[in-house]
Amino acid sequence: MSDVKNLTKGFFKENPTFVQALGMCPTLATTTSAVNGLGMGLATLSVLTLSNIVVSLIRKVVPEKIRIPIYIVVIASFVTIVDLIMHAFTYQLWRTLGLFIPLIVVNCIILGRAEAFASKNGVLDSLFDGLGMGLGFTGALILLGSVRELLGSGTVFGVPIWGKAFNVFTMILPPGAYIALGMLAGLFTFIGIKRKERQKAKSNTEKVKA
Amino acid sequence: MREVLKTGLILFVFTLTAGLILGLVYSITSPYIGKAELNFKLTSIKDVMTDPVTGELLISPEDLPRSLEELEQKIYKSDDSGILYTSTKYGGRVHSPAYLFTSRDDKEIYVLEGSAIGYGGSVVCVAAFVKEPGGFRMNALRVISYSQETPGLGAKIGEEEVMRRFYPVPPEALEKGLRVNKDAGVVPTNDSERIKYLREHEGVIQTSDIMTGATLTPRAVVNTINTMYEFLRGEVDE
Repeated sequence: MSDVKNLTKGFFKENPTFVQALGMCPTLATTTSAVNGLGMGLATLSVLTLSNIVVSLIRKVVPEKIRIPIYIVVIASFVTIVDLIMHAFTYQLWRTLGLFIPLIVVNCIILGRAEAFASKNGVLDSLFDGLGMGLGFTGALILLGSVRELLGSGTVFGVPIWGKAFNVFTMILPPGAYIALGMLAGLFTFIGIKRKERQKAKSNTEKVKA
Repeated sequence: MREVLKTGLILFVFTLTAGLILGLVYSITSPYIGKAELNFKLTSIKDVMTDPVTGELLISPEDLPRSLEELEQKIYKSDDSGILYTSTKYGGRVHSPAYLFTSRDDKEIYVLEGSAIGYGGSVVCVAAFVKEPGGFRMNALRVISYSQETPGLGAKIGEEEVMRRFYPVPPEALEKGLRVNKDAGVVPTNDSERIKYLREHEGVIQTSDIMTGATLTPRAVVNTINTMYEFLRGEVDE
């Protein structure tokens, strides 16, 4: 598989949130606003990319039996590093995200990509896979956060869009997270089906022509 | 046996390496973390010692602490347990240390940090109380930690518009004990003068109009203020 495909597959085709339904805990919990989604997405992106690189580098020296504890050590170390760096240099964002940063350790996208991809592929491919999946996850959180913030608070990234009268409080509460996630996942599935149908029709036309 | 030892050794090497790297990163970031925490604390202290009406500092700018050493010189009381006072009536706590400043007109200003339980956990506030002939006046307040509150509901407590509803409070209202308007049975109003009157004369804090659906969080702030006042009455008036 080429490097570019490894990078782009996470954006839409294998989007970790809307297609693979991975990492639901931070997705539902932190997307009360677009900026929270962006912060969480970027923190996850950096941990995912770095852990993918390291897991790929050590894949030949890690015994099969203890690979999972070692992957967890690698991931937890990067999460702690990101947590310390955010605490030191992005204090307000660190305070806002609170407990969700340490919880990146148990985000199944990261362990999932380490086990399914990085442990079987080279460093460059793993880097692109981590970047692609991380960007897909970040995009999904921003989209979900924006929808919930707009419908719940009438703002997007804090910018007022409409008056308070149109706000639906449920959207910034847990039920709103499920509703918005379900609708967006449905939309992604619908677009995916339509794309497949179009590709099928295109290949059928080419076959007829041939 | 050999296989077990080999596996254990590999795991040990990985955890040791991770520990060393984390130790290195911690030693690099630690001073910056300390600086970020201190800056936040100093900013909060400055904010609560700023007159909410005129926007001027109550103390002379030279007296404003700019470092940990300068801040430590302002400690009025501290306790190793981290808690200076616990109120059985309001369920709030006053954290250690408490600071004492002197205003431009030679009044004592007590800066306290305290907390009470909100919807999801501790809601931590910093407030400045000015000692006046008639008692203590709460000048201003900052809610500095509310990470467990529901975003969009209880977490609105950190917004300027909401925090502004809690201060300033004159001695007579503090003496009565503050209550949120829902607990006081007061119907919310749009009239800002009425909101101010209720706070300054009845000790009623109206938040139900701007924090719809969240009563526990502003109640935690009110309980913290009442606890701080209780502490000052027992501590300073003696």
